[in-house]
Amino acid sequence: MRRPIRIPELGGARAVILHRPHPTVQALLRQLTAIGLEVVQCWPELGADAMGADYVFFDADMGHDGMFPWPAGQPPMPMIALIGSEAPGRIEWSLRAGSHAQLLKPVGDNGAYSALLIARDAFDAQKALSAEIADLKRRLEGRQTVVRAVTLLAARGKTEEQAYAQLRQMAMAWRISFEDAAARIVASRDGTPAGQEGSLDG
Amino acid sequence: MTKRRIEIGLLYSRSGSYSLISEACRSGALAAIAELNADPGIDLSFVAVERDPEGNVDLYGPLCDEILSETSARHVIGCVTSWSRKEVIPTLERHGGTLWYAVPYEGFEASDHVVYTHACPNQHLLPLLDWVIPTHGGKAYLTGSNYIWGWEMNRLARERIVRAGGTILGERYLPIGSRDVGRMIEEIRYARPDFILNSLIGPSSYEFLAAYRELGRQDDHFAPSRCPVLSCNMTECELPAIGMAAEGMVAAGPYFRGIEGWPGKGRFGSSHEAAAYVAVRELARLLSHRPGAEAMSLSQLLAEAGTDGGIIDPETHHTVLPAIIARVEGGAFRLVHRRDGVAGDPYLTRSAQSPVPPQLRVVSS
Repeated sequence: MRRPIRIPELGGARAVILHRPHPTVQALLRQLTAIGLEVVQCWPELGADAMGADYVFFDADMGHDGMFPWPAGQPPMPMIALIGSEAPGRIEWSLRAGSHAQLLKPVGDNGAYSALLIARDAFDAQKALSAEIADLKRRLEGRQTVVRAVTLLAARGKTEEQAYAQLRQMAMAWRISFEDAAARIVASRDGTPAGQEGSLDG
Repeated sequence: MTKRRIEIGLLYSRSGSYSLISEACRSGALAAIAELNADPGIDLSFVAVERDPEGNVDLYGPLCDEILSETSARHVIGCVTSWSRKEVIPTLERHGGTLWYAVPYEGFEASDHVVYTHACPNQHLLPLLDWVIPTHGGKAYLTGSNYIWGWEMNRLARERIVRAGGTILGERYLPIGSRDVGRMIEEIRYARPDFILNSLIGPSSYEFLAAYRELGRQDDHFAPSRCPVLSCNMTECELPAIGMAAEGMVAAGPYFRGIEGWPGKGRFGSSHEAAAYVAVRELARLLSHRPGAEAMSLSQLLAEAGTDGGIIDPETHHTVLPAIIARVEGGAFRLVHRRDGVAGDPYLTRSAQSPVPPQLRVVSS
C-alpha cells in the first residue's frame, strides 16, 4: 500500500551542492533559491557541517565514496545525483552512494523542485521500510523464544492454547511486546518471572 | 529624443475558449505600447510582432519560436493557460527569450525566462479561503477544468481547507470547452456545501454559473449569499458572457474596476488588462535609456538594473500585489475585503502561511 505523498516544508531548508564551480551549479543554485532554500556549494568533499543539510546534490561524474562524511550508501538525508555521463558504471556508483533522485546535466531552468519532492519521498519511504523490516526481523528472531515460553507455561498444566492466551495477557499487563514477554518467561526458567510470582496465574 | 525601435512579441489567441481573457491582456499590452510610443520623454518605441495560436495549445511553441527566430524580439507578452506557458518555456530557453505572463496561475514555477505580473495562490486562493471559511463555513465543493490550473488549485484548496478543519464534499472536472455541467450540479444539490470553488475556464464556467443560478432559484440553500461560487480567475472581461448568472459570485484578484491601489494610475477594464499593461511598462523601464539592453536576457537585465524602482523579485520573478476579494453586484465587482502588499510566493515557502484559526469548526452539523 502506498502512503500519500507529503509536500515537504522547503522554506529555509538547507541544500548542499557537491560539485565543482560550473554553470550547472549556477543554474541549480538559481532554481533552489527561487524555491526558497538556503544553498551552499562545496567541492571536492562535504564538510562535517553537511550532516545538518536537508538535501545533498552531488556530482555523479566525478564522485567517489570518500566525498561523504557517512558510511557508503547510508546518507542521513535525501540525495540527488547530478548526472552528466550516463555510463552504466557511474549510474551504478550513484545508486550505491544512495541517490534518491537525479537531475541530468546540463541543469537548466527546471527539474529541481520535482527532484526535491521525489528524493524526499523516496528517502522517507526507505526509512519507513527499514524500520518495518528491522521490527519484523526482531519478531522473527523471537519466534523460538515464544515457542519455549508457551511450552514452559503449558508445562504447568495448561493447554497450548491457554498458555498462548496467558502469554498475550502478560504482555498486555506489562505493556511490552509479545516477544519481549516471552523472553522474560524464558529468562525466569520455570515459567514464573522474577518478581511476578503468580500475579497473573488463574 | 530619438526613439529606438524595439520589436516585442504578442502571443495571444484571438479565438478559442479563452479568447475574452486573451483580448483583455492584448488590449492592456497595446495600450501600454501606444502610450510609450507617444511619450517624447522615453527613448524607445515598441513595435508589436503578433502571432495568433487560435486557442490551439500546439501552436504556442512553434509561433513563439517564429517570433524569436524571425524577428529581433527577445520579449514576448503572452499566453493565457498554464499549459501554453509550459509549452513555450523550452523555446524561450533555447533563444534566451523572456515571456511576460499576465494571468493568474497556480504557482510552483519560477522560470528564469518568465516574469509573472499577475497573482499566484498566496495572492488569490489563500486569501480567498481565509475569508470564506470563517464567513460561510468549511464545507467545500471543488470544480475545475481538466488541466493543471484546475488540478493544482483544487489540490492546494483541499490541503488548506482540511487543515482549517473543513471538509471536501466533492471534486469534479470537465474537459476544456465542455458544457456538460449537469452531473456537477446534481452532486452539489445533494452535497449541500457552504461554498463552491470554481476553477473552470471559458464556456464550461459560463455554463456552470448559469446552471447554478437555476439551482439557486429552486433551492434557497444555493442563493449566492448563502453558498457562493468562488473564483480566482474571473474578472470583468468575462462578465458580459455570463450576464445575470455572475451575480453574487466572489472573486479574488489584484484589481477590480473602480477599486484603487494597483497598478497606480490608469483605469483598466480588468486585472488581466492591468497586468499586461504593467508588464509592457516594466519592460520599457528596464530597456529605456540603455541602448543595447533589448538584446540582453532577463537575468542580465535584472542584474544590471538592480532592484531600485523595479517591480520584479529577482529570485522568483513575481511581483507584489494587493489581494482583493470582491463580489459581483449589479454587474460590477464590489469590494469585500483587501490585503495590501502581498509578495508573490510561488512555492509557498516565504510567507507566514494561512492565518485561518486552527480551532475553526464548521458551523452547521
